[in-house]
Formats: sequence, C-alpha cells, structure tokens
Amino acid sequence: MSTVDTRQLIEQLAGEAAPVGRLPSPWVRTGFWLALAAVNLLVFVLVMLPRRDLSAAVSDPRFVIEQFAALATGVTAGLAAFASVVPGFNRRALLLPLLPLAVWLGSVGTGCATSWIRFGPAGLTVTPDWACVPAIALIGLAPAVTMAFMLRRGAPLTPHTTAALGGLAAAGLGSFGLRLCHAEDASVMVLIWQVGSVALLTATAAVAGRWLLGWRLLTRHGR
Amino acid sequence: MNPESAILRTLPLDDAALAAGMRAAQSGDPHAYAALLEGITPWLRRYIRKQRRFLQAADVEDLVQDVLLSLHAVRRTYDPGRPFLPWLFAIVHHRLADAARRHASRSAGEASPEALEATDSGLHVTSLDGGTNMEESAVGDPRALQQAIQALPAGQRAAIHLLKLKEMSLKEAARELGTSVGALKVAAHRGMASLRRALARKAVKE
Repeated sequence: MSTVDTRQLIEQLAGEAAPVGRLPSPWVRTGFWLALAAVNLLVFVLVMLPRRDLSAAVSDPRFVIEQFAALATGVTAGLAAFASVVPGFNRRALLLPLLPLAVWLGSVGTGCATSWIRFGPAGLTVTPDWACVPAIALIGLAPAVTMAFMLRRGAPLTPHTTAALGGLAAAGLGSFGLRLCHAEDASVMVLIWQVGSVALLTATAAVAGRWLLGWRLLTRHGR
Repeated sequence: MNPESAILRTLPLDDAALAAGMRAAQSGDPHAYAALLEGITPWLRRYIRKQRRFLQAADVEDLVQDVLLSLHAVRRTYDPGRPFLPWLFAIVHHRLADAARRHASRSAGEASPEALEATDSGLHVTSLDGGTNMEESAVGDPRALQQAIQALPAGQRAAIHLLKLKEMSLKEAARELGTSVGALKVAAHRGMASLRRALARKAVKE
C-alpha cells in the first residue's frame, strides 16, 4: 500500500461522508436502556406474580442489600458497557460494576458462612434449581438483545469486555427480577443458582463478543 | 500525567480545529472531512512508524488505512462536546493492538493463513488468523477480483496466481518464480492484504 492509495482512500471516504446521527452519551443511553428494561421487568413480575412473602422478605436486611446490589450491578454494568464503545471515554468507568458486585457476592458469601456456623454442613445443602438459568436468561433476554443492538452502534474497541459487561447488566437485572418472584433465600442456593447463572450468562456473552461486536462488521474489509 | 496525555500534549495538531472538522464531517461536509483526514494522516504515519519500527513502509501504510477506515466506521461515536485527540488516540491505540494480535496469531499458525476459493456464488477471500478469527469477504462479481489481481504489483500477482489459484505448494511456486520460500510468503501475504483492501474499498463504494 502506498501513500497514493491512502490519498485515494481519503477522497473516497470523504465522498461518502453522509450526515451521521451522533451517538448520545453513555449516560443517556443507559437511561434509555434502563427505561426499556424496567418495563420488561414489570411485565415479567406481573406475569410471574410477586412472591407471597415479599413483604416479609423486604424486612430482611440481607434480602434488601442483595437486591439493591444486584440492581446496582446491572445498572453500573450497563453504563460501563455503553462507555466502553465510546473511544476516549474514561476506561475507569469499566471498573464501576465491581463495587456493587463485591457487595452482592460479599453478602451472599456472608450468608453462606453464617449458615455453616449455625447449622454445619446441613446449612449448605444444595438442591437442584435448574429453572434459575433459563428464568434469569428469559427475564434478561429483551434487555440483552436491546443492549446488543445498542452496543453495535458504537466502536468495538474491547469486544469481549463490552459483551461481558452487557451480559452482566442484563443478567444482573434478570436476577433482581427473579428474586422478586422466586422465594429462595438460602444463601448457598442463591450463590450456586442465581449468582452462578449470572456468571454463566456473563461468560457466554464474553465469548460471543467476537461475533456480536467487531470491526469486520463495520468496515467490511475485515480484520 | 499518564503517558497518553503526554503524547497528546506533544502532538503538532490543533484539537479545537480538528474537533470543528469532525463536527462538520458528522454533518456531512465532505471538504471538512477530507481536510481533517489529510491533516491527521501524516501524524498517524509518523506515530505508527515510531511505534512499530520493525514494519516496512507498506505495512505502516496498511495500518494508517486501517485506522482511517475504522475512524470512518465509528465517526458517529465522536461527541462534539469532548476533545477530538483522545477519541482518535483510543482508536489508533486499539487498532494497533489488534494488528499486533493478528500478527502474533498469524505467525503462530503460519501454515495456511489465507485462502482464495472459487465457489458457485463467486470468489471468496478468506483469512484465518490462527483459527481464532475468521472473516471472509465474498466477491459476487469475479470481474472485480480479476481487476484487483491485475492491479497488483507483478511479484504479488505471480505469487497469488501460483499459490492461490493454481494451488501450487510454496516450494513449487518458489522454484517456478526463481525466488525463496520466505520472499514468496511475504509477496503472497502482501498480495492478499492488498486484495482484501481493494475489495473492501469497492464494497464501501457500493
């Protein structure tokens, strides 16, 4: 490739510089995404019906902390995902979800430890609750698809990280929604089935990042 | 001060002027856009040459064009309320890192990095980056590919012809052309890169 080719390329790119709609800021996009996700969540909770013991559950500080942390993880992961597709945006934004995630895992972990101390190994009995994975995926599906479309409008600077954050955002909200309907508060069950599902869905999204987001999808010349 | 802002500070580029150019480009002003791209290209070339001292001029130019195409593809992500250079720098930085990864995986899986294949639907240029990243540009119009091959320098054209179309082995083709296997590999790789780019340009045009 020579400098002459580069000059030709510039002429060509300038020639097809149709007006483009500017991407709103990550804050605005997160707000828009959350509004859609909130409607989706509301529909699910109304269809699945809130758990009967919800009023009792909200008086349990651990339930409230974990729900708040799951929600905050979803929101901050969404913001971080949208920030990650804007070149030049502060990369520290990508660390935002770590704090609520640590609170969430910390609370669930403490719960497991308390059960162990109080009941011994019996306190950590795990029974199958496979429904959690599809339930969280289903509640998070519409937000995840919306997220994927929105992320593809940005720059795929870090496809895997961006997709993982998007997956974490959708799965975090999914887990929040599920626990409003599904009466399962034993910490070890929450850890294995709910946090585990979120981790699985996030990892799947990270792997899918290369297919979902990539320069080859934008520039058509690949690479 | 982090290294990034140190570099940005020493750039002989006027951020305010570039930001104004990019705003105009987003609104569809071709002249402002051409001026912007022409303004940053010499700097890009210098910067990439400095970062990748081992690369030959043609490869540096490939990277410059990669950055320009990428910038073009994501021009909607520039926020006129923010400075232009950090935005540009992030794209350059990531594209250089991508290229380094591509290079590493290509060296790891040297056997058959690229293939040119004729099928019923036309001709396909495929690049296999160590098996982890496969992308393909299909050329519906075989004439476009023929033209692109014709436009290649003689050495590259011969390499593509013998290796990809006549499917000779590297050894056979090197003997036929009276060159070394190493030189032939380089010529074939360059040729494939030029073809991909030529076809991409055509795709952009359409």
